[in-house]
Amino acid sequence: MKKESTVHYVLRLTLTLLVITSLVAVALAGVNAVTAPRIAAQQEEKTQAAIEAVLPGGGAAVAFTDATGLVSQVYQGENGCAVQVTPAGFNGGITMMVGIGTDGAVLGISIISQTETAGLGAVAAADTAAGEAFRSQFAGTSGTVAVTKDGGQIDAITGATITSRAICTGVSAALECAANLG
Amino acid sequence: MNIKKQFYEGLLTKNPVTVQLLGMCSTMAITTSLFNGLGMGVAVTIILTCSNIIISALRKFIPSQIRIAAYVTIIAGFVTIVDLAIQAFLPDLSTSLGVFIPLIVVNCIILGRAEAFASKNGVLASALDGIFQGIGYTVALTIVCVIRELLGSGTFGGGLLNGGEGIRLIPAEYPAMLMVMPVGGFLVLGCVIAGSQWLMKHLDIKSKKKEAAK
Repeated sequence: MKKESTVHYVLRLTLTLLVITSLVAVALAGVNAVTAPRIAAQQEEKTQAAIEAVLPGGGAAVAFTDATGLVSQVYQGENGCAVQVTPAGFNGGITMMVGIGTDGAVLGISIISQTETAGLGAVAAADTAAGEAFRSQFAGTSGTVAVTKDGGQIDAITGATITSRAICTGVSAALECAANLG
Repeated sequence: MNIKKQFYEGLLTKNPVTVQLLGMCSTMAITTSLFNGLGMGVAVTIILTCSNIIISALRKFIPSQIRIAAYVTIIAGFVTIVDLAIQAFLPDLSTSLGVFIPLIVVNCIILGRAEAFASKNGVLASALDGIFQGIGYTVALTIVCVIRELLGSGTFGGGLLNGGEGIRLIPAEYPAMLMVMPVGGFLVLGCVIAGSQWLMKHLDIKSKKKEAAK
């Protein structure tokens, strides 16, 4: 067999990889085209459900000022407002909705998306008795919220202090933002 | 090609979790409820089978110098497809498995089987290898899940049965939280590995006795 020239060798490897990556890219583009609208619709549905869950009657997006950099969206309705915040959790951002009544106290919180450890931090967002118990502690709080370990009023989830702290930070940021809303 | 031998290897003698000790990260992280274990197992089985088929079909086309890059591209493609599909059609599973689906890309089982099996064998054999290794992974994961969930949360079938709460077998105040944490994962996995070793030895002795009796 004739020895392959360097140019031919490099071209062969590069082109082979190019063909493979192009095919994968085309396949991904196809799948994305099918799933993207569904994923977006689900995200939207989750957001709406989260607003409804923490703020009876829902609300519409309004302009806001935020000093903490955690608030991404504020929805105002007749019963108060819902603030979407994304504090940094154990494993990335935790996106959640905090409902705040006209009296400036928390109505309730709802977690939209998170990537916390399954079975530990993820309990905070779970649809279980433990998750409900953790989230219901926030109702009625105002000012600055913290876990009992830091001298606050919230019992942290066992084995997930960092996640619990992150959620407290988020709720505090939401309260601050709502207070500035006027 | 020997289907029975491949099945036996995937399930027991070359089980990816208990013998090859591949994919430990996902095994430790997500085995806290039955639903997680099954979901992860099925996702890995699908990706493993698809990537094995493609890699086996392309094994003569891919030059050996760039095979790892090519494998990783193909595997990452399948993982992304499965990840998007789960997000679109099974949002609950996507919420509970979180970041571990994208992390299947670097799960050593997939690259390990691509390198050790699919790159040297035919398409059909590689597909079967993917299915059997995937089943082995799922079974091992499910056993670890059931034990950890029972001891750690006191329930069975969490995320799946009884409206997601699982069937409570131990009253809520008794389970050891320790078992849900990573250390519990290592303890249970160690015991499961010991159990599978005992089973293999047991079966080995049995088959030898049978031969002797002949």
